[in-house]
Amino acid sequence: MSELSPHIPDIDLITFYSEKGTSLFSRISPWTKGLMLVLIILFISLDKSLILAVCLYLVVLALYGLSGLPIKKLFQWYAMPITFVLSLVLILMWNEPGKAIFSLDLPYFSLTLTDNGVLLLLTLIFKSLASVTYTLFFLMTTRYDHFSAIIFRVFPSPIDQIFLMSYRFIFMTLKMVKSMLKALRSRGGGLLKSTRRQSKMFAEVFALTMIRSYDRADRVNKAMEARGFNGKYIAVTRIPSIGFGEYFTMFVAATLMIYLIWFVKLPF
Amino acid sequence: MDCASHIYPDGSMGIHEMCFRVLEKEIVALCGPNGSGKSTLLEHLNGLLRPSSGNVTVMGKKLDLSHMDIWRDVGIVFQKSDDQLFAPTVLDDVMFGPVNMGMSIEQAKVQALDALKTVGAEKLSDKMPSYLSGGQKRLVCIAGVLAMKPRAIAMDEPTSDLDPLHAEMVENIILNLKNEHGLSIVIATHDMDMAARIADRVCIVKDGSIIVEGVPSSIFYDKELLETSGLRQPKVVQIYEGITTNLGIGMEKHPMNADDLVKTIAAMIRHG
Repeated sequence: MSELSPHIPDIDLITFYSEKGTSLFSRISPWTKGLMLVLIILFISLDKSLILAVCLYLVVLALYGLSGLPIKKLFQWYAMPITFVLSLVLILMWNEPGKAIFSLDLPYFSLTLTDNGVLLLLTLIFKSLASVTYTLFFLMTTRYDHFSAIIFRVFPSPIDQIFLMSYRFIFMTLKMVKSMLKALRSRGGGLLKSTRRQSKMFAEVFALTMIRSYDRADRVNKAMEARGFNGKYIAVTRIPSIGFGEYFTMFVAATLMIYLIWFVKLPF
Repeated sequence: MDCASHIYPDGSMGIHEMCFRVLEKEIVALCGPNGSGKSTLLEHLNGLLRPSSGNVTVMGKKLDLSHMDIWRDVGIVFQKSDDQLFAPTVLDDVMFGPVNMGMSIEQAKVQALDALKTVGAEKLSDKMPSYLSGGQKRLVCIAGVLAMKPRAIAMDEPTSDLDPLHAEMVENIILNLKNEHGLSIVIATHDMDMAARIADRVCIVKDGSIIVEGVPSSIFYDKELLETSGLRQPKVVQIYEGITTNLGIGMEKHPMNADDLVKTIAAMIRHG
């Protein structure tokens, strides 16, 4: 998706790193990385401290960096989660109980920003960055055949089927969008002339993608029927099992999580 | 296929009173311009389409609602490989057909790996289809059909968009499937050169019907017939015709491939 914007995660680049699999973390069982993701989500859900959220983010960022994954790209990709968090928290952070920092009087009500409001904003940003960074780390250090086999085993049908089909379809649709944008740019279509013109152009690309995707889905369906599709297909790749050291690491991480959340009192 | 016609929902005619048969261990090339009905014909052979009128009989089974599993006997390789490859990995995709046939996972895996080996793509088994080259994708598509051990395979433009090396590989695979595996193969193609090299029989398709059929050496030397059908003679035939016309001699032989052409020209030179 780098063709559209450097701020949208590039599925080709993510797959390149996952298939290359040269880092130490690529050799860790995908089950371990998946379970650690569950642990991180639990941590994020239970934690209320900004300090812990920042620490978690720094640990995850260190893992990402040690894996040899592109840090600059990661910061560019943060644009979307940060925008998402801000779109919610910029509404929620007002009028939190606490010490007032800034107040804005409006005709029928007033908005007050407190220290707790700022803490809420920062905590949610760091939590979202930690989860996004770890998810990307997981995706970029796990081979796709392992990943799809995990989905097939963990999720019930039809969720697993939808995932298995949609992933390949995303690749094909993105390829289609890329070639359409190239065709547009090759004739000067990518140059910004006016917002109205640009919006019209993107609307056309979007509409064409929809139509072509539908057409392609029809042909894919036909190809599946030609091989006797009966509503179910499978992923058979053997997933590397969890080693003793990995069990131990997960145990330590879970214990640490419980200790930090319930037994350590931090100022904020 | 006995006087079968197919009319699409929009009223356009796919095939019109088409009479067509394929024998055992035979390669039949369907040659015709775009929109002549070649692909529609192929989809009838696999049971994807049913005729609006007339009959289609595959391996003794009449294609109707009681025989919806024709796909077990006749595989189809589509023109666009991307439409056929949808599973996360090559192995998963090739196993798709055998699993649908009711095989166990282990059995399906063995057949899939065997099929990949037959087309020379066994090293691609754990790769993602999105990252294969066009030629590799085509090989995997053929393996996906071959893994179901069909008795006949229909191929829609099997060498289109391929580099010469992969096109030659596909040609060799087709010949191998006929000679070593005893399969019947129906190819819809614009590639007259390939049809001349490998087909046992050529059918010229025009406006939804087969207007003429015969052995390649008789069909491809009929320049007028091909031109009125919107087709061109294979390069070998064009060269041979050009030489004989220039020399003002008759065409005693009908070479269909480069080797035969070289031998024929060498013989002509030897005999003055």
